[in-house]
Amino acid sequence: MRNFRLLVPLLAVLFVALAPGTAAAQGDEVVTGPGFGARALQALLDGVQFGAIIAITAVGLSLVFGTTHLINFAHGELVTIGAVVAFFLNISAGLHLVVAALIAVLIGALVGAILQLGLWAPLRRRGVGMINMFIVTIGLSLLLRHVILIFFGTRPQSYREYDIQRAIDLGPVGITPRDLTIVLISVGLLVGVALMLQKTRIGTAIRALSSNRDLAEASGIDVNRVVLVVWTLGGGLAAIGGVFFGLTEIITWDMGFRLLLLMFAGIILGGLGTAYGAMVGSFVVGIVAQMSSLWFPIDLQNAWALLALILVLLIRPQGILGQRERVG
Amino acid sequence: MDEPLLVADELVAGYVTGVDILRGCGAELGAGEIVGVIGPNGAGKSTLVKAMFGLLRVRTGSVRLRGADVTNRPAHELVSRGIGYVPQRQNVFATLTVEENLRMGTYLRPRRFTERRDFVEELFPLLAKRRNQKAGSMSGGERQMLAMGRALMMEPEVLLLDEPSAGLSPAYQDQVFARVKEINSTGVAIFMVEQNARRCLQICDRGYVLDQGTNAYTGTGHQLLHDEKVIELYLGTLARAR
Ligand SMILES: Nc1ncnc2c1ncn2[C@@H]1O[C@H](COP(=O)(O)OP(=O)(O)OP(=O)(O)O)[C@@H](O)[C@H]1O
Ligand SMILES: [Mg+2]
Repeated sequence: MRNFRLLVPLLAVLFVALAPGTAAAQGDEVVTGPGFGARALQALLDGVQFGAIIAITAVGLSLVFGTTHLINFAHGELVTIGAVVAFFLNISAGLHLVVAALIAVLIGALVGAILQLGLWAPLRRRGVGMINMFIVTIGLSLLLRHVILIFFGTRPQSYREYDIQRAIDLGPVGITPRDLTIVLISVGLLVGVALMLQKTRIGTAIRALSSNRDLAEASGIDVNRVVLVVWTLGGGLAAIGGVFFGLTEIITWDMGFRLLLLMFAGIILGGLGTAYGAMVGSFVVGIVAQMSSLWFPIDLQNAWALLALILVLLIRPQGILGQRERVG
Repeated sequence: MDEPLLVADELVAGYVTGVDILRGCGAELGAGEIVGVIGPNGAGKSTLVKAMFGLLRVRTGSVRLRGADVTNRPAHELVSRGIGYVPQRQNVFATLTVEENLRMGTYLRPRRFTERRDFVEELFPLLAKRRNQKAGSMSGGERQMLAMGRALMMEPEVLLLDEPSAGLSPAYQDQVFARVKEINSTGVAIFMVEQNARRCLQICDRGYVLDQGTNAYTGTGHQLLHDEKVIELYLGTLARAR
């Protein structure tokens, strides 16, 4: 833990040290915009919002990994499915976005459940190895992405409601009611998931299964049922995350795939296999990505998030909340 | 014919296709008995217990509980039918607290949690004091207590223990054997794999000597302890010295 505390000031120093150089390079532009402090606060706020969306999608990915050790490369497509299903219900079927989003969540949960029942459970029963299953997830990702492409096309789209909004003025920073709602709902859902994991019977069983599969079975836990719950939950959360991501940015056929790397970064950063780690790590990734655009081109956002990942792992190889196994 | 409570009959099982670790071994456990399994490292003792408990596929042979065929039934079903199991290694949920570990013990019957926890904590008072400690931070001996406690939460009729005294200090080993006796006296039949062959056979009604996946010797604890061949091959000269 002690090492980890050093990291925050280290990154801060790094960023500030780099700031003047780029500011000078941009010349006069800087003077006309809002002050640096205000821009930094705004970027932080945007980062929290982005982090919330990554977190809500990454939790499912993390729970799946924790309970089954499957690295699900197709998790991003669950995100896209959520966004795209809501899009069609919203635009083609004319449903209000809130209704469309709720249905999209149900469908996302259903897709998660079907994948577990129809694909992963049978493969596991046949004793297919983890590496092979991982390759299957890559193929599945490609397949789903291109099916989505056929229906959705390459053109970026937006939802009918809440597209353009005026920001609420909060002093130096602003946030639209839409984005504020998204952050609040996301954080609410994350707290809900945490409470479920911590307080309920099924939640404890999920943690037990992540801790020791054989012992979970030996305790009478029906492992397949618990994993099904995890997939259903993960699919639903990915779908709502997709709708939020589509709302704050734009809906595209490969939006989930673009988010996937950041989800993985968040999970690894927070500590593989702990759902709370995934939440914390995702926020770090979101904030670093947004803050980096204060100094660097926005296209490099993700690269900075990954750099933060590498830095954290160098200092704390098990991730922020990951625990080293007690040896012996 | 009255069949014993739990019977493993000519089991053949293994981890890798084409390689049998168990090669036709078997065992019986009567109601209320303590039965010990000893044998050299790699003999297949743990494998036998896992195969009986549905954690490893049985290729041929059968496992029967109260006369009913339970071969290859999933472990969670065997738990609900009254079998408890404590594995040799990784016998607790390391990331869960002591209380959560016990709670998972009654996963199938959550209503009985409080009542069973009180029973288990009476047997292992240490657990009452450590309710909120993470199991992963406990010592090996403490974990063994927790692991046995967890397995007892469902009030099993049969308890399968895989080397409960392994790696424990002499004092803790004494405790484990005393607890095993105590648990047995409450009517739980115990099937126990042990490295500490002498101690095990002393408290066992009957014992099996396993070697390379087959039954090498079978007899009462007393017979095995005094069998020249068993002493020579499995108990070692240390045992004879006593
Ligand atoms: N998960 C596994 N995968 C492959 N082979 C295994 C596995 N577990 C055990 N084996 C093999 O099965 C054989 C028997 O192992 P087992 O654990 O049953 O022995 P044991 O009698 O319990 O030994 P010990 O006294 O050391 O615990 C060994 O040769 C071991 O290599
Ligand atoms: Mg063993």
